[in-house]
Amino acid sequence: MSYAILAIVVPAASFLVLALVWPLRHTGRPAAWLSTAAALVSLACAVLALGEAPAMGAPPELLTWPWLVRGGEVIADVGFRLDGVSAPMLVVVTFVAACVQVYSLGYMAEEPPAALGRYYTWHSLFIVAMGGLVIAPNLLQLVAGWELVGLCSYLLIGFYWRKPSAGKAAVKAVWVTRFADIGLMLGLVLLYVQTGGFSWEAQAATSAVAAFLFLGVMGKSAQVPLHVWLPDAMEGPTPVSALLHAATMVAAGVFLVVRCWPLFEHADTLLLAMSWIGAITALVAAVTATVQTDIKKILAYSTCSQLGYMVAGLGSGEMLGGYFHLTTHAFFKALLFLGAGSVIHAVHSNELGDMGGLGRKTRTTMVLFGIGTFALAGLPGLSGFFSKDLLLEQVAHAGQYGPLAILLFVAGLTPFYMMRAWCLAFLGEPSPKAAHAHESPAVMLAPMAALAVLAVGLGYAGGPFGAMVGEPYTFHLTPVGIIATVVGLSGLGLGYAKYGLGKLQGLEVPALAAVVRAAPVDTFWAQAWSRGLLPFAKAIGWFDRYVVDALVNLTGWVAIVAAERARTIQTGRARDYLYAVALGAVVVAAAGTIGGISS
Amino acid sequence: MMGPGLSAYLLVAAAMFGVGLYGVLSRRNLVAIVVSVELMANAANLNLVAFSRFGGHPWGQALALFGLALTVAEVVVGLALVVLAARSHTSLDVDAMSSLKG
Repeated sequence: MSYAILAIVVPAASFLVLALVWPLRHTGRPAAWLSTAAALVSLACAVLALGEAPAMGAPPELLTWPWLVRGGEVIADVGFRLDGVSAPMLVVVTFVAACVQVYSLGYMAEEPPAALGRYYTWHSLFIVAMGGLVIAPNLLQLVAGWELVGLCSYLLIGFYWRKPSAGKAAVKAVWVTRFADIGLMLGLVLLYVQTGGFSWEAQAATSAVAAFLFLGVMGKSAQVPLHVWLPDAMEGPTPVSALLHAATMVAAGVFLVVRCWPLFEHADTLLLAMSWIGAITALVAAVTATVQTDIKKILAYSTCSQLGYMVAGLGSGEMLGGYFHLTTHAFFKALLFLGAGSVIHAVHSNELGDMGGLGRKTRTTMVLFGIGTFALAGLPGLSGFFSKDLLLEQVAHAGQYGPLAILLFVAGLTPFYMMRAWCLAFLGEPSPKAAHAHESPAVMLAPMAALAVLAVGLGYAGGPFGAMVGEPYTFHLTPVGIIATVVGLSGLGLGYAKYGLGKLQGLEVPALAAVVRAAPVDTFWAQAWSRGLLPFAKAIGWFDRYVVDALVNLTGWVAIVAAERARTIQTGRARDYLYAVALGAVVVAAAGTIGGISS
Repeated sequence: MMGPGLSAYLLVAAAMFGVGLYGVLSRRNLVAIVVSVELMANAANLNLVAFSRFGGHPWGQALALFGLALTVAEVVVGLALVVLAARSHTSLDVDAMSSLKG
């Protein structure tokens, strides 16, 4: 338990030091080293904590203090809860965070010192926030962490705040997720009303609570139609995209469902809806990814698509597949983003058109990015294969064949667009910009290698992972798994044939590309905002101004008029006051006399 | 024991009080008002002495002595205020002092 506490307290100390000691923050490099060292210590502690964490089913290790108390009864605690769900996630978060912070030492090296210090301050805060979310003993602390990671997301998307598009993207992320958080808040209130507390283990909670919470999940984990903020969030620095918008923060929504599994487990209608929403998200995002030309946008839509996978997997009524896919996805998607960052670092452009032929110059990056691609594609033996197989098998087992069919199609689409990105970036003839490309320094390649090890090997940890989460897991090949693998390999093959070898020129789908580029969902939200929300807000504003405020003003007006009338009895003449005193004395005397007589 | 009874004293005191009250209410000159207030205070003192004399307890007379000391202090303060008021208003007409008018 003490390790889990240290895993959060150490980055918290780093954040406080960097936030308060501004000369240190403004020096840049030392601040970066401090934050990175804290992240590495945090990672070590999280791994040690994983070793001593009790599995689900056994009583969790708790260290809590009363937070909200009403009439001697504790409503909500604040503190640490180490169990089979929180411990693995804590390792995922700290591992990716540590890799990203080390990587940023190279990637962000050319930033001005003050900006670099700011960057690392937010990174330290992010570990604290995400750790606080993961290790929360109740839903209220989880939501507090949820809001804090949202804040970090806003700050880091808008890191290049001199660029107007970055500022807009940051605001958009906040708008969309806050909109979804309305549901989260309602769920929280309903949970309190129904159970008198914020525990996810409460028996009295109905499935309405879970449904409201899921609205928040849809925003945070970028489910259709609330996924529009995630591609824009790519305005942030690439390592930030790797950490927040691929591996951990966007997975917080999925994690919330896993964490609150007792609330979701028996909400059958909601689970079915989750399956469909997840599958549609996976499909829409994957289709969009196939026509993107910005390498980060491809990865962003891919993340969105994989989050849809996780949500659909959770919709099967079994939680292990979704959670397992969350952990494996965190590593290989972070690897892919860092690989993309390495390429962007080499050619100073996000566009695939500016790349090409980079394989000759950046051989290590090509291999590492390829490992990530294959892991995401579900190549047998790599981590993505095991988690995707388990997830699909659980969806099939739940009898949800509609979502299953969509997910299987996406399983073929995913390798296709990833192969496209890989081929266009690393194979073929170099573009003029790519001519002077150079391999990234070791400080960037080492974290990628660490992630690659897990992207390859994590699939074999499924057994211990299942035991930890409390749902036993052994790998066995099922028909669904075989279909998914065949589909995935064909996707890889098609992608390579088309973009690597230049065959299959007839495969273009221009109409699809046109639809995707028109961004119908973005347009929908823009219209919903200008046609729906603004008039509604104006109507509310009118009501507030002319009805609520009018009532308030009425009371003030009554007081003023009454005072105008009452002031005339104050003549200012001493004799009038004396008359009043004399009269009062007479009245008192008379009352006393009458009272004396009557008694 | 000879002389007037208690009621005679009380009548005189009540008359003094009434004269004082009338003076306070009707006069506009500040000094006259202060004198009238003194008259009312001494009517109260007369009552105390009379009750003490006829009630047989000496504490009333002691209280009257304290009352005298009190009225002296009151006159000192009151006349000081009158002097100040005269300086700042140039007249002692209380009806002209109406800065508290609402």
